[in-house]
Amino acid sequence: MLSLSGISKHYGGLRVVDDVALEVPERGLVGLVGTNGAGKSTLFAIACGQIEADAGSVSFGGVDVTRMPARRRARLGLGRTFQVPREFASLTVLENLLAAAPRRHGESLWSVYAQWPRTVREERRLRDEAQRWLRFLNLQGVADSPAGGLSGGQKKLLELGRVLMLSPKAILLDEPFAGVNPVLIAQIADRIRELNRERGMAFLVIEHHLEALGELADRLYVMDQGRVIAQGGPAAVLADPRVHEAYMGGVV
Amino acid sequence: MASYFVAVATISLIYMLLAMGLNLQYGHTGLINFGHVAFFAAGAYASALLSLAGWPLPASFLAAMIVAALLAWPIGLLALRLADDYLAIVTLGFSETLRIVLQEEGWLTGGVQGLPGIPGLFAGLGPDARGLATLGALALCNAVAFLLLRHLVRSPYGRLIRAIRDDQTAVQALGKSAARPKTRMFMLGAMLAGLAGAFYAHFIAFLSPEQFVPLVTFYVWIAVIIGGAGSMAGAAAGSVLLLAFLEGSRFLRDALPGVSEIQMASVRLAVVGLALILCMLYRPQGLFGRRKG
Repeated sequence: MLSLSGISKHYGGLRVVDDVALEVPERGLVGLVGTNGAGKSTLFAIACGQIEADAGSVSFGGVDVTRMPARRRARLGLGRTFQVPREFASLTVLENLLAAAPRRHGESLWSVYAQWPRTVREERRLRDEAQRWLRFLNLQGVADSPAGGLSGGQKKLLELGRVLMLSPKAILLDEPFAGVNPVLIAQIADRIRELNRERGMAFLVIEHHLEALGELADRLYVMDQGRVIAQGGPAAVLADPRVHEAYMGGVV
Repeated sequence: MASYFVAVATISLIYMLLAMGLNLQYGHTGLINFGHVAFFAAGAYASALLSLAGWPLPASFLAAMIVAALLAWPIGLLALRLADDYLAIVTLGFSETLRIVLQEEGWLTGGVQGLPGIPGLFAGLGPDARGLATLGALALCNAVAFLLLRHLVRSPYGRLIRAIRDDQTAVQALGKSAARPKTRMFMLGAMLAGLAGAFYAHFIAFLSPEQFVPLVTFYVWIAVIIGGAGSMAGAAAGSVLLLAFLEGSRFLRDALPGVSEIQMASVRLAVVGLALILCMLYRPQGLFGRRKG
């Protein structure tokens, strides 16, 4: 589904990502862990097209997207969330989802003035779809509240909801559990699992929260100093001494 | 006295068009345009020169809007890829450049001597009726622009431009272009400034470059901020309040003995500045704006 190979990225003399290969299979749920500065955020940004790699290639759904900007990758069905949520703060939660809907007819000056009835019909249809996703994410109670006032965990859910409006084939989640209370972590993990199993959406999840990710992912990659040092099933990877050394700074 | 009030009302409505344009750019789309006066000047000179060349006024008004919008287009393409504060600098520089061009290209614009004898609107009517008719035409244009813009900002397109204002990166991550709607809104705002310029030219009947200094831009900013950025009614109310301050402070002279005519001009600016400071202290979201967070 999403495949990165030979990816390298330098900043000055610093090798942030060094010849990394990563594969998210169709219907896969892949986790990417590593300490701060391991290069996982850079790799993530390369995967979604926010920055370009110095070397290597990225393909998505069989299409080479290496030189494609984030905007066009999103249109192919590659959705992403942000580590620090980027909600549309002054829009309501429902409006956030409506603004995310792709290929909107109503988002042109021509259709606003010349084809208003069609725009209204489209708006009604999308409103139903957005309401369904809000119920799925348990956000229906705050649908009409400004998104800027949500809690950190709710903002993570809102970002997921926005991405779901794209009917994505794969979703990249940047630290979905960071700064989220434990009850909401379980809820978010639950929704991710359901989307993956019932709707066949592939996921790549970056996370510090090893425990939550170990339970969630069916495959883990561990990065340290720009390289992948371990990969495989979560149980095997978490038991790997190299992972302990990198992750715990050699304390264990 | 009656004609004085008609004149003040006319200027208020011209500022209202300017404020609606800037509010669309800044309040709704988040574009920091410090060169709004450039598009006002472009509309004024375009309509004045074309009418002096014999064009009928409706055609010259339309041309003023088109010229202002087309002038905004390259600025949009160039600058909208920059961060907000750079756009502010680029637009401010652009408006000063345009003013100097108007000043230096005397063969076209009359240069510092100015452009006299610009035909007024409704030339067939008597002097009093003419003022009222101009005011009526302006009011109609304001009403039409208000309704068209309100429809726009309440539409899915309006939601998209507010999303761009809130977080452009997120809009792009969702697969949408932020540059195109921003350019469109910049041009639309400039078009309104061009229309305001055309009304101004034919109302004042005389144009010279020093009428288009950056202070005009900042008066419009004051109107938008006092009224409440992002609020349609706010932009309208802010312009009326601005003119009430600017003109009302004239009458302060009776209350302030011993202040000379020249000192009075500074006092008036100080009053506007003080009003803005008090507004920021006690009602930062403006009269009609929604409180943030």
